[in-house]
Amino acid sequence: MIEAKHLTKRYGKTVAVDEVSFTVKPGQVTGFLGPNGAGKSTTMRMILGLDAPTSGEVRVDGKAYHQLGDPLRSVGALLDAKAIVGGRSAANHLMWLADSNGIARRRVSEVLDIVGLGDVAGKKVGTFSLGMNQRLGIAGALLGDPETLMFDEPINGLDPEGILWIRNFMKALAAEGRTVFLSSHLMSEMAQTADHLIVIGRGRIIADAGTDEFINRHTAASVRVRAVEQNVLAEALTRRGALIDHGPDGAMAVTGMDSAAIGGVAHTHAVTLIELAPLGSSLEDAYFDLTQHETDYAAAQLVGATQGA
Amino acid sequence: MTTATYTIDAMNVTPAASPVRTPKIGRAVKAEWTKLRTLTSTWRTVVIATVLSVALGAILCLSQVQQWTSMTAQQHRTFDPTSCSLFGVVFVGAMMLAALGVRSVTAEYSTGMIRSTFTATPTRRRVLAAKAGVTAAFVFPVALLADVVSFEVGQRVFTGKHLQASLSHPGVLQAVVFGAVAVSLTAVLAVGLGGLIRHTAGATTALVLLIVGGVTLGQLLPAGLRQYVPGTAFQAAVTVNHSPGLLKPGTAVAVLAIYAAITLAAASIRIAHRDA
Repeated sequence: MIEAKHLTKRYGKTVAVDEVSFTVKPGQVTGFLGPNGAGKSTTMRMILGLDAPTSGEVRVDGKAYHQLGDPLRSVGALLDAKAIVGGRSAANHLMWLADSNGIARRRVSEVLDIVGLGDVAGKKVGTFSLGMNQRLGIAGALLGDPETLMFDEPINGLDPEGILWIRNFMKALAAEGRTVFLSSHLMSEMAQTADHLIVIGRGRIIADAGTDEFINRHTAASVRVRAVEQNVLAEALTRRGALIDHGPDGAMAVTGMDSAAIGGVAHTHAVTLIELAPLGSSLEDAYFDLTQHETDYAAAQLVGATQGA
Repeated sequence: MTTATYTIDAMNVTPAASPVRTPKIGRAVKAEWTKLRTLTSTWRTVVIATVLSVALGAILCLSQVQQWTSMTAQQHRTFDPTSCSLFGVVFVGAMMLAALGVRSVTAEYSTGMIRSTFTATPTRRRVLAAKAGVTAAFVFPVALLADVVSFEVGQRVFTGKHLQASLSHPGVLQAVVFGAVAVSLTAVLAVGLGGLIRHTAGATTALVLLIVGGVTLGQLLPAGLRQYVPGTAFQAAVTVNHSPGLLKPGTAVAVLAIYAAITLAAASIRIAHRDA
């Protein structure tokens, strides 16, 4: 269980994390979603006591991080898989971690087997691929058999097999009743992995909801409509609360009403329909719409780019 | 890497964290010791530092013997066969071994692994104290060995001119042991420098300036202050023939201890108050 209350981090005049409050509950995978630079990593570092909040507080299992005795037994975290001194073997790297929290050394080979690195336990970490480093980082997080697990962008740089493995692994950890907190800038990935989403943009929480609820709320499908008496229909639909976007090709995208309702309105007003086609709005679009206002560089400034900075 | 078909069933092979009873600082010490001994570069440093120390000491002793007849009576009087034979340890071995202390901190800052360390041990001054303690304890026997071998080799060189000292002579054994103590204290100072500067190159340069460069730069200081320069104090610690302008060996060790303590304390405060 992680609880953040009015958590704020300022660097000079820049506000990296702004009055953020949220709770990460056990037994589910919580996705921490936001564009790069939105404040995800800073928030995670504050949870782990690495960065001091400017104001506000964050607690793990009701305690500030530094109050946890042998913290690796309560919280396992993977922030940056590449942040590791390369001269040690995988097993020796995990061994100092185990020693630091009084964890039995036999646990080292257990976690290496769990993440599938048993065969390369004696190899120097400096020779590892990013995927292997990610697995080693996850092994380190599991070392103390903690109730709370935190992973910062764990699927970055992984191949599809690795992504699938992580996805299933996170779900399995949550199914055991653990608190799993996972950050990503990829909406599609989170939709498949997380049960709950906390969306952050420019240091502020902009959504905190179940994944299904989030999807339903933000992927309101629109209907593409063209009619002979376009303006009459548009006016009639607007009166009934529909939202209308006029496209460049003369068609309009109607949200807030389904095709049947629009057909009914057209019939009532004796409007001749030329085209009536339901359009699915992608979750990725919804996420992009939601975060672009909160992103440092809006899409308009990055012509052709699909992700803000 | 093996296949990705591992299931979560393997998670709880060891029932929830069977605790090993060690006091908190003991755990940090154990972790730092594991870190230090599992790096190949640590052992490479030990071998090279020892070999270079002995070799350089022997070379200085040989050159002293060759120049003996051309030296003044004053130089003959103040000649110290003990400190002369330990020259390699003081000027090279100490530096290389203390640099282990620098790297124990800076290697983690440069890779970012310091975050894992502070996540595992949130009390940061405990981390720094453990690094200092482990490095100091590790380099002591190495430096002592280098001291003893350098001393014996050096005295062998001096035997021809009957200049040799013996471990049984007054103050000689103390000088040999103090040489190793001074190396340990320099290692503590180095951990402090690593914490303050956090970059390997910068912190190592600072270390070399303080120990080796300090002796030359010390010439700029008034005579009374010169003897307190770290490098000069280090030399004084291994000197048997007490000469003016050098601290007494015991005082010199105390001065080095104070430098080490101040630097480590400053680094602790610095590290505790900055974001990692």
